[in-house]
Amino acid sequence: MCRYCVEYGNGAKWYLNPANYNPDLYRKDGHSTAFTMLSGPDKNSFEVGGMATVEESLSDFNFAGGFNVIMSTMSQHQGQVVPLEDALKIIELVPGDRFILEHCACRRFFGHNDVYTCLFFDPVVDITLKTRPWETDSRVISKKEALEFEKEMDRKGLVHSVWDSGLDSDGKPPIVICHCLQTDCMPTRMRLYYGITDGQRKGEYVAKVDPELCAQGCKQFPICMPRCPFGAMRRSPLDNLTSVMITECYGCGLCRAVCPTGAIRLMDRTAYPALVDVW
Amino acid sequence: MSPDHYTPRHRLIVDEEACGNAVECLKCVHVCRDHGQNVIGFVNKETPDLEEFVPRKLEEIDHRVMGCFMINCDGCAKCVDVCPKGALSLERAEVPVPRAVINKEPAIIMCSVLKDGTRIVLED
Repeated sequence: MCRYCVEYGNGAKWYLNPANYNPDLYRKDGHSTAFTMLSGPDKNSFEVGGMATVEESLSDFNFAGGFNVIMSTMSQHQGQVVPLEDALKIIELVPGDRFILEHCACRRFFGHNDVYTCLFFDPVVDITLKTRPWETDSRVISKKEALEFEKEMDRKGLVHSVWDSGLDSDGKPPIVICHCLQTDCMPTRMRLYYGITDGQRKGEYVAKVDPELCAQGCKQFPICMPRCPFGAMRRSPLDNLTSVMITECYGCGLCRAVCPTGAIRLMDRTAYPALVDVW
Repeated sequence: MSPDHYTPRHRLIVDEEACGNAVECLKCVHVCRDHGQNVIGFVNKETPDLEEFVPRKLEEIDHRVMGCFMINCDGCAKCVDVCPKGALSLERAEVPVPRAVINKEPAIIMCSVLKDGTRIVLED
């Protein structure tokens, strides 16, 4: 359990705490800044422009600690990887029946065309439609469609991650579920290249492979391996088994979804004492 | 940050005046994506002020290109070649020689027998 859950979880995971989805919370000052940054006209300046500043001022990749502090206190936007079942629970918890599918800012602004993978929650819908009139392709969908959309993203092999709109003393309201990959997602790349971990946290889970079931599975060509965007799956050519590097695993559950024998399951991260500080 | 601790990387220098509105071209962004490094992105120059002007298309907003995650840049300079306006240049990082610096005291080798056979006795 990382500090998000300790401070905002009320004994559970922060994103499953219903208190964080209180509609009044979304309208409070501490969080409304994030709404203009993430769904209003500031979106591009913040999400992509902010990164250029990091690039210029981070002279040494061995000292990412300072940027962790900036990310956790000033960015008003942190995320955490969630597996499919938690993503579905989040969508059930969100107040209102309207969701808006927006283009992925990271993918668009790095030349990967417009991919509509960012599922913003109800309070955002009107802000986006009003303040970003040039986004004509954003689509408003219902809760039922949103649940289907999550499942489709899981089939495609995109990592679900839930993002908040400001970490204030009163709460940490989730605002969007993004579907990221290591190749083009800003915060994931910040983690992988710079070691800035406070942009995107690892999930609350770690994958575990059951060797007996794995031995009955795909053997020579393990299909779980290319599904892992973080390179956490390893395969031994001697016994034809895959295993998970727990320190690399983000707990997204993508490998589990394709295992033909159901050999992969998600363990609670706290099951491994060694992972107490790996978030 | 001390200059001793500096991770060398190439820098992309963009002449914004020559580039103009980047979103109309984006050749450099796409060439870097196709090269597999994906370190050039584009961003709006200023946050659109809806009270002044309401853009109806992305092309109506002024954009610039920038180097980002330049740790991944391998210096192929395809972006410089592809730019029709000559707005890009690549400042190559100087890699210090020797590349690795060992921050350790010189090792002290303690030997008690010299070449001619005399023994050194350490006294405390």
